[in-house]
Amino acid sequence: MAGGGKAKRRSAGPAPPATTLVIDNGANTIKAGFVRDVNEGDSDQTAVDGPRIIPNCIARDRHRRTFVGSDFEKCKDFGEIAFRRPVEKGFIVNWEVQKEIWEREFFDSKAPQKCDPSETRLILAEQPNSLPALQAHCDQMVYEEFGFASYYRGIGPSFNAYQDIQGIFRTPRAPDTIAELPAEVILLIDSGYSHTTITPILQGRPLQPAIRRLDVGGRLMTNYLTRLLSVRHFDMRNDPYIVNEMKESACYVSLDFKGDLEKTWKGTRGERRKDYLTGGGIAKDYVLPDSHTRFHGVVREYEPGVSARARKGAISTEDILTLRSERFVVPELLFSPSDIGMRQPGLADLVMQSLAALPIGLWPSLLANIVVVGGNSLFEGFVQRLQTEIAQRMPDSCTVRVVRPEDPITSTWHGAANFARHEHAGKLAVTKQEYEEHGSGWVARKFAMGLGVDS
Amino acid sequence: MNNFGVIEVASTKTKNAPGWAYVPDNGPSLAAAALQPANRKRAARNQTALSISDVSARQDTKIRKDLEALDRDIHKDANITIPPKPGASRAQNKHTPNVRKILQSQKTFANHLDDYQALLLQAETNPAMAAALLNAAQSKAATPTAVARGSPAPSASSASASATPAIRAPTSTTTTTTTTSKRSAALAKRAAAAAAKESREAAAAAAEKAAAEKAAAEKAAAEKAAAEEAAAKEAIKSEPEDPSSGNDVEMKDAPPTTETAETLSTATGTPEAAATQPQAYPADGTILPVYKKAPPTPHPGDTDSLLVSHVPPFPSDDELRALLTAPPLSYLEARAGWGDDEARYPVRMFCEVCGYWGRVRCIKCGARVCALDCLQAHREECVTRYGL
Repeated sequence: MAGGGKAKRRSAGPAPPATTLVIDNGANTIKAGFVRDVNEGDSDQTAVDGPRIIPNCIARDRHRRTFVGSDFEKCKDFGEIAFRRPVEKGFIVNWEVQKEIWEREFFDSKAPQKCDPSETRLILAEQPNSLPALQAHCDQMVYEEFGFASYYRGIGPSFNAYQDIQGIFRTPRAPDTIAELPAEVILLIDSGYSHTTITPILQGRPLQPAIRRLDVGGRLMTNYLTRLLSVRHFDMRNDPYIVNEMKESACYVSLDFKGDLEKTWKGTRGERRKDYLTGGGIAKDYVLPDSHTRFHGVVREYEPGVSARARKGAISTEDILTLRSERFVVPELLFSPSDIGMRQPGLADLVMQSLAALPIGLWPSLLANIVVVGGNSLFEGFVQRLQTEIAQRMPDSCTVRVVRPEDPITSTWHGAANFARHEHAGKLAVTKQEYEEHGSGWVARKFAMGLGVDS
Repeated sequence: MNNFGVIEVASTKTKNAPGWAYVPDNGPSLAAAALQPANRKRAARNQTALSISDVSARQDTKIRKDLEALDRDIHKDANITIPPKPGASRAQNKHTPNVRKILQSQKTFANHLDDYQALLLQAETNPAMAAALLNAAQSKAATPTAVARGSPAPSASSASASATPAIRAPTSTTTTTTTTSKRSAALAKRAAAAAAKESREAAAAAAEKAAAEKAAAEKAAAEKAAAEEAAAKEAIKSEPEDPSSGNDVEMKDAPPTTETAETLSTATGTPEAAATQPQAYPADGTILPVYKKAPPTPHPGDTDSLLVSHVPPFPSDDELRALLTAPPLSYLEARAGWGDDEARYPVRMFCEVCGYWGRVRCIKCGARVCALDCLQAHREECVTRYGL
């Protein structure tokens, strides 16, 4: 594999650009970084500067100041903040905004990750099952507006195969084993901001007929939490950022939904159950930011009576919310979307649906290599719950392993960075000359084909 | 009420439009009753509360609206203009026509999706015109081999072959799934059976071939019709035997009915000897290479029939090839489906006030609440919304 890159370099006329910009353009954040050839002579020597996580939005706070992309770090007051996002349902739809953000991050003279597109190769991760029109827009923008020298647009989940998957699983193996990339077979579950996708991947190639999507993502869960809070506590509808923070810090996936729900019930009329009064180990107090001294919310252990006193004005300095069933009902949407009337199966059932499209001979290997990435996998208990639920649907003798990489948010990016150093990248990327010669339809077909079978 | 045998089905569809709405017409019309009260007696009783279908329609609409609201990115439509860049002059304002079009497009994802669906529909109804219109979308799906990627010869055959295994695959998987779920008790002997399955398939093919030969011979004896029937019968017979014989480990013990059984047993003889090797990959697999490393050290328990684990037969190279080259599904096709399997269990209902199980239904609006406390809280809201 090491030699492949060199051979390619010699055979193709102009040398491929020494710098590769790898972008995982998520709906909530962009993960971007460079992969550079350090030594011009030896293509194996590469340096990776880890991904920078850039908010993919234009935000406006209540003082009507706007923040584009990474400017958002300067924002301190997150109350009543409004966002405009270029990515909708996981796909780049509004290029006007996306171009602005990309330009400020990558191309402007003072950009934090400045590069010259005409000397750079771009590797862009996209969500599976995109619309052809949107893909064509993306290609046209990359070549015609930004003018990247070379470019590959690949399915994000499949980049995860270019990682040491067995290392993440901690599979016992010989100590000096060097993981062969791409991983032979994995079942990748990517639960992001817009939706959750399931992608079986064989030798780095996605098995397209089995890709499934669940329309539950971080955004839906944040909105759901907002609704619950607005009904039960304060109107939080203008503070999506604060609610999102609350969701990330306080919510967890319940391993015993019925039991937990029982513990958070106040009881029938006049009755106050013991678990309700003491919190039952579930209730937490959440201190809301006041945008003067505290800019981020804080989770605290539940103290009976604190929030009641706070409401009466005894402690006027803090706004406290008591979160009870909200803590686990919100992530529960991933496992049973029908709770809010969505006519879609839960994640474990969706895995079964995806597998049903594949020959049964592939099932054992896929089930033993399930990798979850994306921000939602950070919920406490997510991996364990998923593993139990899938195992319940399978025969006892079947091995089900679910694992989450150390950093599930940047996992796709790291995979894509490894891909950029792999010989496959050289095979798949299309140069600007080729684009100008063959046109956008040809490029779209080539990207859709992917690696094909014989390579 | 005799309706000449016509059963009216209340539609659950309601349309939201400002000022008026389509409402399913069932039960006595309140407006008409108010104009011409036919019977003043017991008027209160006749002015029924909403029928069940009305309540459920109302609920459905509510759920739909709620989901739409949850799916939206922002609560309010924020129209944030892009701020000017600090100090940078917009020197290059020249865009190519394509880029200009993209930048000025105000389409949302929903618009794009509708366009795509319309395009697909058009392709279905009027293929000739659509073919001219479609460039990227269709050619991608139809001719993955058209790309000048210098991929070697078999790609063409794989594309053509992709259709048949794709159809065949699901049926085979379903049968095996049902049988596996039923046979979890007979786990121990499965490994041998699994390894034998491949050979069985070959044997079945051989049996069919033999039957065809036999049929040909009989054809020569001018008993055309009878022979074909027999061949067909045998073909049918050999097929349903397959899954059942999967339960039994030893194929040799099958009752020898015809002379084909002889070929059957000889065919299974050799692979059964090979079945002891823990090799599930097909030897000629090029997509997934053969496991080359040394097998793990043998353990005395390996031969224990209770400890033997079952591995389903590995898909053939052609099958994998078809899977790898299959075109992507469209956006809507990839969406998680809601079939009978998912509708098997009733949907969980929660209290709309406190989030506990929704055990009580509000008579007026159909909302669920948990107990009297929450019902009281709900009533207040319900009255303000729908009146007494």
